[in-house]
Amino acid sequence: MGNIQFGFVVFEKCFQCNGVRTYFTQEGIAILGDEYREGDHFWHRVENAQSFRFELTCSRCGLRENYDDLMGLFFCTGCMSDCKVEFLRQQLEASRAHLILACGFLGENQSKPKQIATAKLEKLAAYFNQRRDPLRARIAIYPFDLEDGFAHCKGEFLHDVGMLSQTPVTSRQSPF
Amino acid sequence: MTLQELIEKIGLKPLSKFQDRAVTGVYISDMVSDVMAGAKSGDLWLTVQTHKSIVPAANLVDVAAIIVTGGKAVPAETLEIANKYDIAILSTTLPTFPLVGKLYESGVRAR
Repeated sequence: MGNIQFGFVVFEKCFQCNGVRTYFTQEGIAILGDEYREGDHFWHRVENAQSFRFELTCSRCGLRENYDDLMGLFFCTGCMSDCKVEFLRQQLEASRAHLILACGFLGENQSKPKQIATAKLEKLAAYFNQRRDPLRARIAIYPFDLEDGFAHCKGEFLHDVGMLSQTPVTSRQSPF
Repeated sequence: MTLQELIEKIGLKPLSKFQDRAVTGVYISDMVSDVMAGAKSGDLWLTVQTHKSIVPAANLVDVAAIIVTGGKAVPAETLEIANKYDIAILSTTLPTFPLVGKLYESGVRAR
C-alpha cells in the first residue's frame, strides 16, 4: 500500500433536489454544515468522516492499482436475517472468511453508490490477506450491492466519524 | 509473549471473549483509517476510541487485541460485535504512555 493520502469523505445533500453525493477531499478540515450553491443545486455538508485513499503496488511486477474510486469498506453486522449479504456472510464464515463490502462514491444523480470492479477488489482482498495470519481466517471483499435493504442496514463503515467534534459520537445515522 | 501472559502480567481486563494468541507488536492510534493503513497482524492496538467500528478494523488487519486505555468505558454494542467475531478487547485504567512503558518492560516491541 502506497501513496497514502489522508483526508475526508464528505456527504452532501442538496436542499433543492434532495440529492445526495459523496466525495473525497484533502481539505485540512472538512467543515460540517458548510453550504454553497453550484448550478441548480444548493449543497449542504451533512456528514464527514476522516478516511484515506491509496494505491497498491505489486512488489514482484510493479503493477499499480489505484483505489481513488473506493469510498470505504463496509462491515456486515448481520442486522437483517433475510438480507442477501447476511446469507453471503454466513456462507463465508463457514469457510473461515470475513465478509467486507467495498463501496464506491455516490454521484448526485445516482440512487446507489458506484460499484467497484471485482478484479480490483480481489487484489485488495489479496493485499489484506497477505497482512494476516492465514491460519486464522481470511478476508473476502465483495462489491457493495445491498439494493432495497440499504435504508435499513445497520452495517458499519470503517471510517472515522466525529473525530473533529468536541462532543463524543454515541451513535451514527445512515449517511444516505 | 501471549495475550494471556500480558493480561496477567500487566493487569489488563478482558471485556470480550477471545482466543489466546501471540503478540508480535504494538500499534498506537485513535483513527480507524490509520490502523487499516499501518497496523500488522499480531499487533496490540492501543486506543481510546471505543466506537463499534474499531471491531471490523481490528478484524480486517488481524490485530491480536484492542486495548482501550485510560479506563474509558466501552459501549455494549462494541462488545457485542467483538464477541460475535472473537475480537479481544482489553481494558486498562492506565493512560496510553505508562501502558507502553509496561509493555516495553514486558518485552513487547513495535515493528
